Amino acid sequence: MSEESRAEADDASCIERSRRDPEVFAEVFHRHASDITRYVTRRLGEDAADDVVAETFLAAFRQRHGYDLSHPSARPWLYGIATNLMRRHVRTEVRQLRLVERTGVDPVTASFTDRSDERLSAEASRRRLAGALASLPKGHRDALLLFTWAGLSYAEISEALGVRLGTVQSRINRARNRLREELGGINPLATVSEETVCE
Amino acid sequence: MNEMTQLERFRAEVPQPGPARVRRHEERLLAAIARDAGGAPERGRRTPRLRLLGLAAGLAAAVTAGVVVVARPGAEAPQIIHPMPVAASEVLERAAEHASRAPELHPEPGQFLVFESRTMNPSYGTDRYLYRTWRKVWLPVRGDATGGVIDGENLPPEPFPGWPVPAEAYEGVGRRSGPEKLADFDDRVEYLRSDYDYVSRLPTEPQKMYEHLYTELGNGPRDDAEAWNRVRGLLTEAYLPRAQRVALFRAAAAIPGVTTVRHAVDAAGRTGIAAARTDPVAGRRDEFIFDPKTYLYLGERSVVTDAAKAEAPVGTVLTSSAQLSVSVADHAPAVKGD
Repeated sequence: MSEESRAEADDASCIERSRRDPEVFAEVFHRHASDITRYVTRRLGEDAADDVVAETFLAAFRQRHGYDLSHPSARPWLYGIATNLMRRHVRTEVRQLRLVERTGVDPVTASFTDRSDERLSAEASRRRLAGALASLPKGHRDALLLFTWAGLSYAEISEALGVRLGTVQSRINRARNRLREELGGINPLATVSEETVCE
Repeated sequence: MNEMTQLERFRAEVPQPGPARVRRHEERLLAAIARDAGGAPERGRRTPRLRLLGLAAGLAAAVTAGVVVVARPGAEAPQIIHPMPVAASEVLERAAEHASRAPELHPEPGQFLVFESRTMNPSYGTDRYLYRTWRKVWLPVRGDATGGVIDGENLPPEPFPGWPVPAEAYEGVGRRSGPEKLADFDDRVEYLRSDYDYVSRLPTEPQKMYEHLYTELGNGPRDDAEAWNRVRGLLTEAYLPRAQRVALFRAAAAIPGVTTVRHAVDAAGRTGIAAARTDPVAGRRDEFIFDPKTYLYLGERSVVTDAAKAEAPVGTVLTSSAQLSVSVADHAPAVKGD
């Protein structure tokens, strides 16, 4: 077992202990808050992310009695809660992506970037990518971004979103095809076959 | 460069959050943990404080109701119509009628509203008991609770039915805890604010006040319970100008399920008449108690109606408060160093 997965194996026992001793739950926060904050910020921008992240851990804390202790890592559970809470910000997310598509200006990264000319070469494809992300059904965007940005496996995404593994595969495949279509004009139908071997 | 590489690079400049930002999120969690761990004021010194009387239960309800209560304007919440039913509470109607007989306070910006009260709340730590406090709170007329000051002391605890009172429950009894800062943060959404400056701008028509109580809520049983809970937030350690107070009583009277309880005793032992609403999910009846003659607000209490859900026998009073006085002051006392 790797160092990382050994540490993660403790999430379930932390949560179990936190049912008797609530303060132990802070440990779950310390392990995951940073990654989840970055992920949510990348999707919604800093302001909306602050709400979602704080609410995610409050909701997780309240729901700790319902956590399935047979899952050693709390990552899928936490990303699932965050994804649910992000639902009320769908409009914000899509509006910001559309803004990138139209103008190239990205409100999400504006506060983190000081050299806006750096990415000029990739400007056109970046704008098309944003437009493609904005046009995805939310469930597809969730699955795709949990995979690429949060680094969850298909099985973990299935747990996080509460959908079957096959659904995760098909959502990600279709989302990738859509992106590829927007970016390169490649016929998506021609590339479907390679997608099933991702795991 | 394929689409996945491009996607990985998209917004990759978003960094891991800095320590201050993580700390802000952590504080909110720790405050919730502290409340859950029993939240007795003398314990958990290192956890950030947010000790608003009307808020403790409200925050818990907000978390339970999840998305609904915390939703921000601009999210894709559908427009929900809240037609106000005919008011059905005799007690609240009387309270509205009697509102003009009480002397009115006129606090100004820069001043403080001072609330003195007694409270009883359950502690659900390793051992259960009911902890009681006397408290005095100075709240700025303008601004949130972080500008407030609290002084208080623990009163002798009462047993939680079926549990012996643990020795730790007596720690700090009879010792003054303040004056100290009331809250390290106050991140209530705007429509849950209860400072005088804000409540002075609330509608004076009952129907509009009713809509205010249901902001971001639907029309289900949980929503009615939360609306009733928000009434508490405007009655407890809050002072509304007369016009808004009258509107609040009439709007609260129209929340579905309000009943009258003839004899209700507040945390100071005063008997009054109560407007009450049973929350079937929590298994308790939440009562707002008024003086039977003057119809001035005395305090509130929660009585168990479902033993299984409330984990205590039917009829047990688990939470109560008594508002002893409300006044205006030019200054709050200096806080002790932490």
